Amino acid sequence: MDKSRKFFIILLCLILLGIIFITRLYFLQIVDTSNYYKAQAYGSNEIIIHPPRGTILDRKGQLLVFNDALYDLMVVPDKTIDSDKDAICKELNIDTLDYFKRIKKASRYNSRQASVFYKNLPYKVFTRLQEVIHLYPAFYIEEKIDRRYNINGAAHLLGYLGEVSEKVVKDQPYYKPGDIIGIAGMEKSYEVYLRGIKGRRVVLVDKFSRQQGSFAKGKFDSLPISGQNIISSIDIDLQKFGEQLLTNKIGSIVAIEPQTGEILSIVNSPNYDPNLLVGQERNKNFSRLLLDPRKPLFNRALKAPYPPGSTFKLVQALIGLQEGVIEPSTTFPCFGGYRMGSLKVGCHAHPSPLDLENSIKNSCNAYYCHLYRGILDNPKYNSVQDAYDKWTEYLRSFGIGIKIGIDLPEESSGIIKKKEYFAKVFGKNWRSANVVSMSIGQGEVGLTPLQMANVAAIVANKGWFITPHVVKNIGDYQTKLDEFLKKRQTMIDKHHFDTIISGMSKVCLPGGTAGRTAIPGISICGKTGTAQNPHGKDHSIFIAFAPRENPKIAICVIIENGGFGAAFAAPIANLMIERYLKLDKDSPSLRLDLLERMMKSSLLEPTIPKPTTN
Amino acid sequence: MEEKFHIDWFTVIMYIAIVTFGAVNIYSANNTLENHFLFDFKMEYGKQIIWLIASGIIVLLVLLTDYKFFNFSAYGIYVIIIIMLLVLLATGTFNKGAQAWFKIGSFKLQPSEFAKYATALALAKFLGTFDIKFEGKRNISIALGIVFLPMLLTLAQNDTGSALVFVSFIIVLFREGLSGWWLVLGFYLVVIFVLTILYPSLYVLAVVLTIILIFIYFIKRQRQLIWLSILVFVLTSIFVLSLDYLFIKVLQPHQQQRILVTLNQDVDEYYESKASAISLFKVEKPVNQSKSTSKRDYSYNVRQSKISIGAGRWFGNGFNNGTQTKAKLVPEQHTDFIFCTIGEEYGFVGSTLFILVYLLFIGRIFFLAERQKNAFSRIFGYSTGSILLFHFFINIGMAMGLLPVIGIPLPYMSYGGSSLISFSMLLFTFLKLDANRVNELTRFY
Repeated sequence: MDKSRKFFIILLCLILLGIIFITRLYFLQIVDTSNYYKAQAYGSNEIIIHPPRGTILDRKGQLLVFNDALYDLMVVPDKTIDSDKDAICKELNIDTLDYFKRIKKASRYNSRQASVFYKNLPYKVFTRLQEVIHLYPAFYIEEKIDRRYNINGAAHLLGYLGEVSEKVVKDQPYYKPGDIIGIAGMEKSYEVYLRGIKGRRVVLVDKFSRQQGSFAKGKFDSLPISGQNIISSIDIDLQKFGEQLLTNKIGSIVAIEPQTGEILSIVNSPNYDPNLLVGQERNKNFSRLLLDPRKPLFNRALKAPYPPGSTFKLVQALIGLQEGVIEPSTTFPCFGGYRMGSLKVGCHAHPSPLDLENSIKNSCNAYYCHLYRGILDNPKYNSVQDAYDKWTEYLRSFGIGIKIGIDLPEESSGIIKKKEYFAKVFGKNWRSANVVSMSIGQGEVGLTPLQMANVAAIVANKGWFITPHVVKNIGDYQTKLDEFLKKRQTMIDKHHFDTIISGMSKVCLPGGTAGRTAIPGISICGKTGTAQNPHGKDHSIFIAFAPRENPKIAICVIIENGGFGAAFAAPIANLMIERYLKLDKDSPSLRLDLLERMMKSSLLEPTIPKPTTN
Repeated sequence: MEEKFHIDWFTVIMYIAIVTFGAVNIYSANNTLENHFLFDFKMEYGKQIIWLIASGIIVLLVLLTDYKFFNFSAYGIYVIIIIMLLVLLATGTFNKGAQAWFKIGSFKLQPSEFAKYATALALAKFLGTFDIKFEGKRNISIALGIVFLPMLLTLAQNDTGSALVFVSFIIVLFREGLSGWWLVLGFYLVVIFVLTILYPSLYVLAVVLTIILIFIYFIKRQRQLIWLSILVFVLTSIFVLSLDYLFIKVLQPHQQQRILVTLNQDVDEYYESKASAISLFKVEKPVNQSKSTSKRDYSYNVRQSKISIGAGRWFGNGFNNGTQTKAKLVPEQHTDFIFCTIGEEYGFVGSTLFILVYLLFIGRIFFLAERQKNAFSRIFGYSTGSILLFHFFINIGMAMGLLPVIGIPLPYMSYGGSSLISFSMLLFTFLKLDANRVNELTRFY
């Protein structure tokens, strides 16, 4: 072979080698993107920066929920070789033996990475240590945030935080396992506003996961955005007052500002201290609360459907007026009740016959039996069933039988049966007489305290309401959600309310069913209810609004097994109204005797542990 | 005639460019993010600057030396190096499993780096001697002996990588008269070797037999070729059938695993499939291959290296910005795996440019060697080009996962004083010889 040809063969090999290498390079760098993504994963560690969660304030600006910082002292065991251990021991007030124990414990996990050396530094130690910590390169202080509640009540309103569930992590990519999320109350429903937006810092790590500085010059870093502060519509003084009033009783209070739909307080009894569900004690306390036979975790105001009793008569009367079944002057006789064949609905002693206004004042059962049958047997409709459908439509416009749309989780829609239900029970052609008990709010009807309070608000507004809500404003710009600015019109015309309101005002005047608890100087319009129930003594119910002109508060009080509406619910509602309206005028002339009686009376039976069978 | 100084500036400029680029990459791979000193002599990138200066001085010394000195003292230098290697064998200090260092104060001298230089000189001297050619049993034996002696000594130091580099002299011998068929044979054996590891031996033989039968069918009555084909088949069969034994018995476990990893083979599976062969030859299965560690450990370097290169994409992350580089995820990145830094920080565009420049540089050396008028300079030039080419081929092929991991540096790029100085000496000795090409003309012809 010619020698210069050999030179060209060698050159050819060089070129071939270049082609092979560049092709390989092309596949490694351009075609195979997996290397690129692996590089992102192997060389970096994402550090999530959690933004401070928003605080919650009451309507007057009082702090209800806030964040508290806890400080842990962290240590990187490998770096402690030339640390001044005596100085550290002195700062923390521990002995050398303890020091080595802690180091040993920390290095058990990974001696190159930081572990907790001293948990929850006392604040004094923290402030002192913070100034000198740079002298000890192996140590640093890590801040942890914990939630604190400024009050020991209102737990159902505020809710609590907890670790995200697996399902949430799967459904919402924002959350990672171990993240904290609102689990109940406002903490849950306003989670998106309160949580803020997580920031992240991507750091370069070596093969031991030690941080080497910023990854890709901070290209992927983002700053956290703090959670927004929330101004609740709750009046915390009223809330606390209500909780005191319900001590040793089972029941619920819902107070709404009628013009705005803002909820002033939601009191449930029994209640619990929200601080029980914070930090490390959470799990222990939670299971204890969950097993409590009185169900302190149960949000009665939103979830428990009670038979509304006579308070339902207001709704029936309004529907009757709107449908033209009655006029304000229409009278029905009452002979100690309503009889029809074998059916009898009892009534108490009062003059007869009564017109509409007086039927409210006296809470005449017979009147409403006639009225309801008039509604259902209205010849306008082809059948009782069609009339019933129309009637439920009215109810829905009141927010009854549907979820009202409050900004708290776990709301119940109450109980309003569909016509098919009655067809199953009474046969296809059931008659109005079959369901007559519903005319007085008994039987197949159940309203949550929230829905009842909303009825009071509707009457106060003469025909409309704004979806009740517990959050007044969100964030720095004090914005209110659009859905809580819209008026929801009921199907009742405004002029029909006048008779009802004057009837309600008579209820709270001497001679009315709640006449004995009237407040001097405040014109309250209310309606008592005494709901029979299968759980024992009647529930005491009262719904009201006040003052009559330009109402400021609409309220519903339910005291389980409290007897007549006037026995507990009405006085408690009156006290609440008085407290709310008079405190504004700076004259707490509360009737102390009544107050004391209400607070001290206990309706609780001593709890007997249920025998555990099986 | 007046003596002229005709150094090839083109090569010198490329040398400076490559060496500078090397220092930049060592800085990037070796420096930490916290350290902002440009020259920190505690760090290896700082030491490399010292080596650069030392190389500069040695380059100057080489250029100032009379060109006749190299021809004159070629055997002397060779003998000194051989003695040094022998001394190392006796009293070498251990370093990474290879006894390859002389410790002089705080510096380590690696004679095997200089052995290539000495071998190149000695081979050039022998084959360049008037009327000696790469022909005849005696001459061929001596020429091969010159190459094999330092090669075997390096191998005895357990420095397989450096020993393999002596294979590069086959290019020189090819240029000086070795038949190209030997290269073809070598290539054929490598292909058969790879196939035998990838597929069962009998399949490989079946394929070879089929090809040979088709070949015989086409050439028909040419007896000689038929006999040759049969011979090739018989030899191939012997090679293939003894390969399992050779592979497991002769190669060390880590070498076996590096080869298997390069060929994408599961190490454990391989040994299981060859269990019968192992028992047949009464060879014990190499230890330290528990299922959990073997493949991961031996593929770690290459995998990290590929990830690092792949992370560069089109244009790379830019100087000192390689995430894998900065995180020091590739072991030995500033030495043998320096190409990862280029791949990650300068991307496909930068790496391609680098490969092209380097090949142009090597090609230029071969070109210069080819134009030499005397054999000594030409053979030395070819040796220089071949050694650089071999290092380049192995090093970058290894970094890109094309070849098994063989720890040899990328000349002028990898960190290391001995390698930088020896390669600089090699190059500038040749450039010095080349510069006197004009004078040679008048002197010898």
